[in-house]
Amino acid sequence: MIRTLTGLIIVLALGAVAASVIPEMQMRSELQGVGYSYASRGMDETGSSNLVTAVIVAYRGLDTLGEVVVLFCASTAVVLILTLFPIGVRASEPSRIVAFTAKVLPAPIMLFGVYFIAHSHLSPGGGFPGGTVIASAFLLVMLGSSSVPDRNGRLPAIESLAGLTFGLLGFWGVLTAGQFLNNTFLGTGTPGTIVSGGLIPLISIAIGAKVASEFSGVFKAFRNTRGEA
Amino acid sequence: MSTAFYWSIAGTAAGLVLVGLWGVLTRKNILRIALAFTVADTGANLLLVWSGYLPGRTAPIIDGSIPASDITSSVVDPLPQAMVLTSIVIGVAVAALFVVVGVLASRRTGSADVRRMKELRW
Amino acid sequence: MTVIALTLGGMMVAAGIAVLFVKDLLSAIIITGFVSLSASVMFLLMDAPDVAITEASIGAVLATMIFLWGRGKIGGDG
Repeated sequence: MIRTLTGLIIVLALGAVAASVIPEMQMRSELQGVGYSYASRGMDETGSSNLVTAVIVAYRGLDTLGEVVVLFCASTAVVLILTLFPIGVRASEPSRIVAFTAKVLPAPIMLFGVYFIAHSHLSPGGGFPGGTVIASAFLLVMLGSSSVPDRNGRLPAIESLAGLTFGLLGFWGVLTAGQFLNNTFLGTGTPGTIVSGGLIPLISIAIGAKVASEFSGVFKAFRNTRGEA
Repeated sequence: MSTAFYWSIAGTAAGLVLVGLWGVLTRKNILRIALAFTVADTGANLLLVWSGYLPGRTAPIIDGSIPASDITSSVVDPLPQAMVLTSIVIGVAVAALFVVVGVLASRRTGSADVRRMKELRW
Repeated sequence: MTVIALTLGGMMVAAGIAVLFVKDLLSAIIITGFVSLSASVMFLLMDAPDVAITEASIGAVLATMIFLWGRGKIGGDG
């Protein structure tokens, strides 16, 4: 009772603060500042039609590298804990509907994910949503059978190679144009075609491969191999 | 019409953050605390995207329907959307780590009650 | 648009409160998935298609799967 009341008082006080701060957060009637300069020069400088992908990969590429590192740390920690303390679920035999769906659906889902990554600079897309769509296809395959997925252990290899590719693409920019993750040294092309946008499609493919194999590795760790339920 | 639409989204987002925060403060089951944290994270992301929204404009993807000479007065702000993309992915990674550590702690102490997880030793 | 935003916003806040008070954990997890999907629709109403697809695929699939696994390990009540 004391806990509930104290929580309510804290939340009401924060609500009063929010009600006075949030009206200041609204956009005035025009784009201003950094958003204005990204919107006015984004397509010409980077060559991509999707302004959000241009901001993520080209203008703020270093923040995206930091996000990839954070994801790597979190997923490695989860897999490490689940390997040291095997509390995974012992798989049971799936029902007929699930088994049949897992034979039919993962291929179109993966095709959609690859389309999503490849069109990251032309239409709504990007490396991160495309990678998670491919990871959900892997999840469907895993749920449709009761065996242990990825017996050869190739998923961590793909993940490491993709992360290394991201770093090497950045250093390629250092070697040719003197700036880490420089976007324009490959030429920007005409915006709207699939070969355009400098380094953006290559980095999106690297991010998509890394995110897909990362989340697939996490789901694989949820399935136990040693029998403790 | 536009004003009610505009402020209702901000009210929803702030409401979600406050409800999620109250849940983290007062609930006892560790999984319910993780769920409340996810709800609060969703509300915060909504608030961030709302801050870059301008009524009457369209998405920041330049296809043939936006005149190329007039981009800055017909798109919404792309910068908060880029930040929220990062934030959503990191939010799910934090939730995964939260759940795994919570399950481990509940195995250690025998129940999923937070009030029993008071010891700092292994 | 206004009607959709108002209805969806009200349902989202009510669902957020319901997550904390429902007895069964499975219902709480599914209601959290509903909050994520409604947030995805609201992102689309605010002209952010990239963010909408990211939130839909991550919040509805990956987060729900992780919570369901956690519930399977600690028991289903409380």
